Formats: sequence, structure tokens, C-alpha cells
Amino acid sequence: MSSLFGTMSIATGALAAEQGALEATTNNVANVNTPGYSRLEPILVSNDPVVVGPLTYGTGVSLEKLESVRDPILQRRIEEETQDQGQLNAFVSAMQQAQVPFTASSGDIGTAMSQFFSSLDQLSTDPTNLALRQGVLTAAGNLTSVFNNTANNLSQQRSDLDLSVAQDVTQVNVLSAQIAKLNTEISQLQGVNQDASALMDQRDVLIGQLSNLIQVSSIQSDNGLTLTTANGTPLVVGGQSFALSTQANSDGLHDIYSQGTDITSQLSSGELAGLIQVRDQKIPGILSNLDTLAAGLANALNTANQSGFDLNGKAGGNLFVAPPANGHGAASSMALQVSDPSLIAASSDGTPASNGNLANLSAVHDQAVAGNQTPTDYYSNLVFEVGNDVSNGSAELSASQVILNQLQDQRGAISGVSLDEEAAHMVQYQRAFDAAAQVVSAINNLLYTVINMGVLTG
Amino acid sequence: MSSVRVNPYPMPDLLTALDNLLQQQQTATLELASGSRINKPSDDPAGAAQMAQINDLSSQMDSYQQSIGSVNEVLSTADATLNSVGTALQRAISLGVEGANGTLSDADRAAIANEVNGIQAQLLSLANTAYRGQYLFAGTADQQPFVLDPTASSGVRYDGSQGVNQVTIGSGYQVQVNLPGSQIFNGAGADVFQAVHDLITALNTNSGIGEAVTEVSNSYSYLSAQRVFYGNAMNQLQTQQTSLGTEKVNLSQQVNAVSGADMAAVSTNLANDQTAMTATLTAMGRIPQGSLFDYLK
Repeated sequence: MSSLFGTMSIATGALAAEQGALEATTNNVANVNTPGYSRLEPILVSNDPVVVGPLTYGTGVSLEKLESVRDPILQRRIEEETQDQGQLNAFVSAMQQAQVPFTASSGDIGTAMSQFFSSLDQLSTDPTNLALRQGVLTAAGNLTSVFNNTANNLSQQRSDLDLSVAQDVTQVNVLSAQIAKLNTEISQLQGVNQDASALMDQRDVLIGQLSNLIQVSSIQSDNGLTLTTANGTPLVVGGQSFALSTQANSDGLHDIYSQGTDITSQLSSGELAGLIQVRDQKIPGILSNLDTLAAGLANALNTANQSGFDLNGKAGGNLFVAPPANGHGAASSMALQVSDPSLIAASSDGTPASNGNLANLSAVHDQAVAGNQTPTDYYSNLVFEVGNDVSNGSAELSASQVILNQLQDQRGAISGVSLDEEAAHMVQYQRAFDAAAQVVSAINNLLYTVINMGVLTG
Repeated sequence: MSSVRVNPYPMPDLLTALDNLLQQQQTATLELASGSRINKPSDDPAGAAQMAQINDLSSQMDSYQQSIGSVNEVLSTADATLNSVGTALQRAISLGVEGANGTLSDADRAAIANEVNGIQAQLLSLANTAYRGQYLFAGTADQQPFVLDPTASSGVRYDGSQGVNQVTIGSGYQVQVNLPGSQIFNGAGADVFQAVHDLITALNTNSGIGEAVTEVSNSYSYLSAQRVFYGNAMNQLQTQQTSLGTEKVNLSQQVNAVSGADMAAVSTNLANDQTAMTATLTAMGRIPQGSLFDYLK
């Protein structure tokens, strides 16, 4: 059977529950601008009823818990997309710098080659003219310095990227350690059945930052959260973090090691992957193409010069310093062999005013000197490849940005704090609190009546 | 009750939109400023590669045109020189005819012979003409081609070479730009110096003047025939110059097709982007500043 005191306790329970719910609202409002915050939702449940004979009495409400509203699967998707975006972002911005030397200008390799061949044409009209001969040497010297500058520029970018790799690894280690610490705190709280949602939000933010840097997979198990990177090597297992280390490789660049395993080439997403892709594949690829072109050009022009005679009637020698036999570093080390304009072997028969051999030098313009292509064809292919990498990367980046925005919209729709909603909830809980207080007051009156039943009012 | 919850924070989306619009405006402004829609390889990789080829081709054309200009100067100088040679020979011929007149005294003939001697010296000087330090009739040698040599029967020795030069004036198009001096001045049976030398001897000895005049006349015809080479070469250059001009026009049309910015479209897009930008900014400004809280009393 029910009692007034029982009813009173239902009302006071309601007061406590509504107050708790208001607390959730307050916390939500307070965190309206906190990045990564997931709103709290009070879970109110009605208490177990009491059955007395044929009657079932409700026993009121209690606030079971304040649940933070989150979608773990969506969170994983955001992390994955962030990783893709990190990779694309790093790739595109690095390649945008790498394409600069290939932008058509007065200082690019294509122009320098054209100018060199033009200078040969001019010399052919007056082969003994020392000014024109000097013109050829100047154009050739310009060609070598453009090759040198382009190659050195790219090598410098490579070193800069390497610096970023090392910095990112440090950053990854800091984040892993922070996440491991949060893991410990979360499992401690959960161990005593307490709400760890605030810490979980913080952890999600950190995992988001980590995802921007490196490929990460997260596994939630009874032992807490495990984060692994490429190759399945762990970054964080529960409360323990495993630092990545770097080691200089034969090129003097940082390779990334996870617990003794080299994972440098295994990373496929995250900023590190983008940096490494450009550092280890794209720039070396471009450099090797430049080497092929520089070596092919220098060798062909040397051969052509050797087939003629210089202004003194002597057999021609090398115009350019012979490039390394394997071509490695040919672009950065390309240099003129001759500084005396009379050594250009314009003559085909030893007579000084003959220009017959200039035709052989000019013919290099149309010879397959590099990769079975003429110098200009080879160069324009290179321009295409570099431009295409940037253009494709940018397109993927925009697409990834759209996806990430949508995912974050979705996350906002699920977990974001809406002030309107909170205001409505506040009013709702406030009114419920008011009502419960009225009930307490009413019961109080009833009790008063009951207590005074035995008192004579004489 | 269940309703679709929307993201209460549209700001990041709007910021991304603003970023994109700004980027588009920057690109459009660059295109308008440069007149080219390819300002870096990634703007159009295939187009940029094509532009590298076109730029090289265009540089070649310029180079051919420049070569034609230089060669043309040399050729016209050579042609004018040979014209003077012809005039000198004609003068020698008329002097020879005059000298053949039997009524002339020895002294008169000696005077004529003297004048022809002068012509011989003039011829030697003409044959050694240089243009910008380059001997026009030395073949591919770089020295004075005709030198006085008492041991030679004509008194003049050819020191040049038999080489000829060719200059490229088009893709795979080469034109010969000189004749060895010996081919012009020392034709078999039509040697200019020999003929004039013989005329001087004939005048001095008053024998065989008629034959000597014929010899000079032959060498004149021969030289005139050789001179045609220069006229032909200049014609070739002229024709090629014209066709290079046409090719360059084609090339610049190609450049325009590949990389030219469509100014009208770009300006329109730029205006649209600016409108979109204003709209987005307005939208951002209209995001409710307040909330339901403001209305609860």
C-alpha cells in the first residue's frame, strides 16, 4: 500500500532527477564551443513499481546516467577520411612546390634548351664570329645552370620534406603518449562505473590530430583502446604508448621505425604518407628524369662536338663535362668542359669557316637522346607528369574535403550542442522540477492535515 | 517525437566554401592578368606539355628567321660584289676592244693596259671582299682567299677552300649560303684573273688582243652564270621568310587555343564568384546570433 511518505519520496526523487537533467543541459551549454564535445543526454528511467495486492504503484523516476551522444562508427570514418586528407594535403602542397621549376618561364629547362639550339643556328650563319661562339657557350652555360638549379631546388625540397617527417614523428609520439594517458584515466573511471565521456571526447580530438599525421586503425576492446599504424604495429595499447623512432638511411633521410620494423614505405595515409611519397618517390623520380635528360643531352652534344673541328682546326672535344656513367646526379653536376669559344667544333673538315658540324650539334634537337625521345619531347612529358600529379592530387583533395565536411556535419547533427534544444530542455526540466516541488508542497499539506487529525481544535 | 537533427554549426562548411571561392577568384585574376589559363603545369598538364613543345617550336622559328636575316645580308653583299666584278669585267672588255683598234699608238695601248691593270687590282680587291670579318669567297677558309703570286700563271693564287656552308632555315630545310671563290673566279677556261692578265699581256705586246677580249668575255659569262646562285638563294630565303611568318601566325593561334584564357568567360566567372562570395558572407552574417534562451523570461 502506498503512504504519503512514499509519495513524498517519489516527488523528492523527481526533484533530484530533474536537477540532474538540468545539470546535463548546463554542461552542454557550457561546452557549446568545445571542439569534439559530444552533448550529454540525461537518461531518465521510471523506478520499479511496487505491487500491493491488485494494485501496482509507481515509485517515481531516477536519473540513470548522463549519456554522451556519440556515433563511434562515424568517428572512425572521420578518422579515416582525416588520414586521407592529411596525405593528400601534404602531397599536393609538396608537389605544388616541386612543379614551380617546370612552370613555363624564361628560366625553365625548356627555354634554356631552345635558346642553346638557337645560338647554334646563329653561329652557323657566321662560324668564325667569336661573339656568336661566345653566345653558344653562354647559352650552354645557362643550360647547365638551369639544370643545376632545378635539381638542387628539388633536392632542397626533399631535405625540407625530410625535416617535416622528423617533426611529424615527434608529434605522433607526443599524441600517442597523451592518448595512452587518457586511456588509463578512462579505464579507471569506467572501472568504478563513472562517466568518462569528457575524456573520451578529448581522446577523439587527439585521435583526430593523430589521424591527420599518420595512418591509424583503432580497435576498442575490453582492455581499452588500441591504436595501430601501418603493418599493424601498435602506437597505443591501453595505457601504454609505443614511440616511433627515426633512423637515417643511406640518403641521409629519416626512415620511420616502429618497434624495430621499418614502416616508412608502408604508410598509405596521413600527412607522413604524403610527405614520404613526395620525398621518396616523386622528387627522386623527377630528379632521375632530369638526370636522364641532362646526361643524354650532354653525351649527344659531346659526341657531336667530337665529330667536328674547332676554330684552330683541331678535332673537337667535349663541350660538357662527361656526365657520370650511370647518369646519377647528371643534372646537378652538369657543367661546361670548355671556356674558350674557339673550341666549339663548328667545322666539319678543319677549315675554320666551315659550319658543317654545327648541323650535327643542332641535330641533337631532334635526336632521341633520353628515354627514346627528343629533348623537348622528354621535357614536355616531364612537365605533364609533374602537373598531372598536382592536378590529380588537388582534385582528390577537394573530393576528400567534401566528404570530410559531410561527415563532420553528420557528427555535428548527432553530437553537436544546439542552444535552442538546450533551452527547450531547460524549460522542460525546470517545469518538471517546479511541478515536483508543487507535489512536495501538496503532500506537505496533506501530511499537515494528517498530523493535525489527532489534535483537538477545541 | 522524432525529428531530424541538423548540424548546429554550419560555420566550417561556410568557411570551406569561402576558401574555395577565394581560390577560384585568385585563379581567375591570375588568368585575366596573364591572359593565359596555364600559369603552372597543374592548371592543365596536357596543355602545359603542349606549350613546352610550342614554345620550343616558336623559338626555332625565331631562330630561323634570324638566320635568314643574317644570311640574307651576306648573300646580298656577295651578289652586289659580283655585280661590281661584272661591271669591272665589262669595262675591261670595252677597254680591250678599244685597244684592239690598230690606229692606236703604243703609248695609248700602254695607257689602256695600265687601266686594265687597275681593273685587275680592283678585281682582286672585290674577290677578297669581307663582310663582318667573313671573306665572302674563301669557301670555308678564314683567310684572304686571293693573293698575288708571281709564280701563278694569272699572277693570283686561290688560298681559300673548296668547302661550302649550309644554314638551316626551316625544319629539315637547309640552304647553301656560299660558293667557293675558286668556283666563281677560276672557272676552267673562264678564269677571271687569267683572262684579265692575258688581256694586259696582249695589250702590252699588241698581239692576240681579240682572243684575250673573248677570254675576258667568256669569264664574264661564266661569272654571271655563277652569280645566279646568289639570286636563287636569296629568293629561297625570301620565300621561306614568308612561310615562316605564316607558320608563326598559325603557332600563335595554337598557343591561344591551348593556353589562351577565355577572357569573357573568366570575367563572368569572376563576377559570379564575387556574387557567391557576397552571398556566403551574408549567409554567415545571418546565422542566428541568439537562441531560444533570449526569449525565455
